[in-house]
Amino acid sequence: MPSPLVRTKLFIPPVRRGVVPRPRLADRLGGDEQPRLTLISGPAGFGKTTLLAAWAEAEARSGRPVAWVSLEESEQQPAAFWTYVVTALDAVAPGVGAGVLPLLQAPPPMEAVIATLVNELGALPDGVDLVLDDYHLADGPAIAGDVAFLLEHLPPQVRLVISTRADPALPLARLRARGELVEVRAADLRFTLDEVTAYLNDVVGLDLDTPEIATLEHRTEGWIAALQLAALSLEGREDAAGFIAGFAGDDRYVVDYLVEEVLGLQPESVRTFLLDTSVLDRLTGSLCDAVTGGSDGKAVLESLERSNLFVVSLDDSRHWYRYHHLFADVLRAHLLEERPGEVARLHRRAAAWYDAAGEPVPAVRHALAAGDVERAADVIERSVIGLLRERQEATVRGWLDDIPYDVVRRRPVLAVGFIGTLMSSGDFETVPGRLDDVERLLADPPADLVVLEEAELARLPGAMETYRAALALVAGDPAGTVIHANRAIASAAPGDDLTIAAASALSGLASWGAGDLEAAHRGYSVAVEGLERAGNIADVLGCSITLADLRLTQGRLGDALRTYADALRLAAAYEVDGPLRGTADMVVGLSQVACERDDLAAAAAHLQRVDELGEHLGLPQFPYRWRVARARLREAEGDLAGAVALLEEAERVYVGDYSPNVRPVAAQRARALVAQGRLDEALGWARAQHLAPDDDLAYVREYEHVTLARILIRQREASALGLLDRLRVAAEEGGRTGSLIEILTLQALAHHAEHGPRDIAGALAPLEQALRFAEPEGYVRIFVGEGAPVAALLEALVRRSPTWPYPRRLLDTFHHHPAGPVGQGLVDPLSARELDVLRLLATDLDGPAIARELVVSLNTVRTHTKNIYAKLGVNSRRAAVSRAGELQLLSRPHR
Amino acid sequence: MNTAPTTNPDGSGWYEIRLHGRLDPRWSARFEGMTLTTGDGFTLLTGRVVDQAALHGLLHQLRDIGLPLVSLTQVETDQRPPHTTDTSSSGA
Repeated sequence: MPSPLVRTKLFIPPVRRGVVPRPRLADRLGGDEQPRLTLISGPAGFGKTTLLAAWAEAEARSGRPVAWVSLEESEQQPAAFWTYVVTALDAVAPGVGAGVLPLLQAPPPMEAVIATLVNELGALPDGVDLVLDDYHLADGPAIAGDVAFLLEHLPPQVRLVISTRADPALPLARLRARGELVEVRAADLRFTLDEVTAYLNDVVGLDLDTPEIATLEHRTEGWIAALQLAALSLEGREDAAGFIAGFAGDDRYVVDYLVEEVLGLQPESVRTFLLDTSVLDRLTGSLCDAVTGGSDGKAVLESLERSNLFVVSLDDSRHWYRYHHLFADVLRAHLLEERPGEVARLHRRAAAWYDAAGEPVPAVRHALAAGDVERAADVIERSVIGLLRERQEATVRGWLDDIPYDVVRRRPVLAVGFIGTLMSSGDFETVPGRLDDVERLLADPPADLVVLEEAELARLPGAMETYRAALALVAGDPAGTVIHANRAIASAAPGDDLTIAAASALSGLASWGAGDLEAAHRGYSVAVEGLERAGNIADVLGCSITLADLRLTQGRLGDALRTYADALRLAAAYEVDGPLRGTADMVVGLSQVACERDDLAAAAAHLQRVDELGEHLGLPQFPYRWRVARARLREAEGDLAGAVALLEEAERVYVGDYSPNVRPVAAQRARALVAQGRLDEALGWARAQHLAPDDDLAYVREYEHVTLARILIRQREASALGLLDRLRVAAEEGGRTGSLIEILTLQALAHHAEHGPRDIAGALAPLEQALRFAEPEGYVRIFVGEGAPVAALLEALVRRSPTWPYPRRLLDTFHHHPAGPVGQGLVDPLSARELDVLRLLATDLDGPAIARELVVSLNTVRTHTKNIYAKLGVNSRRAAVSRAGELQLLSRPHR
Repeated sequence: MNTAPTTNPDGSGWYEIRLHGRLDPRWSARFEGMTLTTGDGFTLLTGRVVDQAALHGLLHQLRDIGLPLVSLTQVETDQRPPHTTDTSSSGA
């Protein structure tokens, strides 16, 4: 997240004293039409912000919330831009940001962020206006597309209001044609003669006659900034007529002329103050003192504000100000002309103040403006790690071009900081060369080597090997990753827990992607220990997700549960005020394990607790993992359509981090589609993924291949058997018992589908093996979720091994779920008795055997069967069972 | 805006920017490397621009001052007086 946020940017500028009411413009802004976009477009100093502030104040009085963002150039970065936008919206419509801000923590596709934001806005009961002031400062290709998307999908109760000096790159013509655009442009913003009169005579209190006012209106062309300057020059002047005549007779740039007049009226001390501080973007007392060498900065600022001398207050507390842009521009031109030699010194003082204040970003800006590259490099060298931790890599990235490589080359700590920045930005191209340069530098340090903190030097070898490990991972070289990671751990400075943790996690990641789960678990365990020592509990929780995932794949449900529970205990121990971020993710994990054990009440209770905790306590992956867990529960409860919808949402908000995507959400969705009987769509997915039964197998695609096998079984394709055989061998070799349980179960189903009752033993053998692996861990859903076909096989297994309690218990679960014959997806639902018959139709029992089982006559069974066929719209037993499977009538709990 | 033919793909070359209104000569320090000349109610900024990005940056600065832009012309180098002549003729 591009933190820390400058809160003053979200503050609606207070309406200054001495503002002329402009009902003709206010009416257009607050009119009855509800345009999607209100555009206030005009040059600097045309009163855009003043107009908007007055309107926003009126809106707020009438109870309609206004979210305000005063944009600056730093918001050309999408992450910064959207963080401000969402934070502003969240401030006036609490909750809007809860789901969106976590997405901005990691850089996901912005589309996901905005889609989520649109959903959140759509759910708002009341309207809200979003004001983007000074939009031209942020406008650019990185922003425009997403703002256009937001605009296109804006719910009707939300309006966007933009003020800008240049028309934004938005589809204005289309909006205009649809009547969805209200525009206030330069011609509207210019002060009319009436407004000029009201301003000069009523507000300022000058007593000018009509011709004088007309002269001023003509000379300034209704430009309010110029009128304000003219008023300042006129106040207290004896010879108003002479001034106006002089002004009218001069053809110079009005602001030049007037600022000179205004400055001429100021005491020398104020004039010097104004010029000195014109190098600052923001003004506060102590900063001004540092720059001017004076001590009355606060008092001067307050007096400037009182005399309305173009300072704009940025907050309620009269702490931060800025000059009006136009005024500042002219002041700077004066400064450059009068004291060109001092500009650098003023910037250097500002840099020193910001550096001491712990604000590296403006410190670097001023140091660079002073041409003091070494000072800028000093500030960056000291702050780069902190900035990267706050995910400000885009900011640091911008400095890469500002600091010549000759300077970087003498500063190993800075050089490695920049390498870290490039790595975080996913920009790997120049990294190997830079790493080589630093290595050479450290091997043979030149006389002019710069290291601000000796201790940092010891950290470098470990950090550099860690980056080499990451490069190898990105290049798809797991062996190289592990080699460099081990070197990183070996060369890490004593106590550099974070390097050890990062290298161990990289090594773990490489092993994970390669399918070596035990090595992956070892790597992550070491990472967790290091992170815990370093006190980085949020990352411990992030790694715990991976540790638990690994255990689930290994079929160690109990260990997965313990991983989540231990992480929760740790988080609780580190709690300061309220639960730690990441807590919600752990509870999602608990829910998933409960669901696997078919304790649906507990799974639901955990998800309820997640809701109470809130999305802000989730890690970057939370939005998608949480939806996947909810989908799994919905599916278990029989709501397949709901599950598919949730999975579609999950796909949109997927955040992978660096983890291998071993359970793609799209594949999970394909499975839900299969369960729903939407085979064509599932097949479409398989085709799009280029999946084929004779593919070479790799662990990273195991889940997708198992999904393909499910589709093939439903299609009664014999190729399912061969694919499953190979998957089984691979899972056995990789020690992936979790995968194996599922593969064996599918083998049983595939075998049964292929050979039917002729070879029931051939189907029961893999199922029995699956049960042996599953029993000690308490797996239930993996079997129950398969529905009637597995129920039929379990019944056969119970008949064969009557003393084995586990299959009997599983079978009971099929029968014990509450729920009646409602919601079957049928016009005419099946009765409870018909469902009983249907379940037996799915077994190998023949008609008389079914009659015996149900203790009814064969005729009764036939009647039930006929009704079942009619209700399902089929005309054979096999079709009935198949249709029932699609509708989940067999696994669907009844009674 | 009219542009003389250019052979440079980056758009570097000499440009002449005409603004409505007379800008004080002190602004030439702000528009580094550009020559500022003024006439009756207009200002001409002339100079070499390294590429299109620099040209747009310059236009942004002009926009932020609020002087109306009248024309932007690329001029042939040989039509230009040498860069070393007076950098800012006073407009008085």
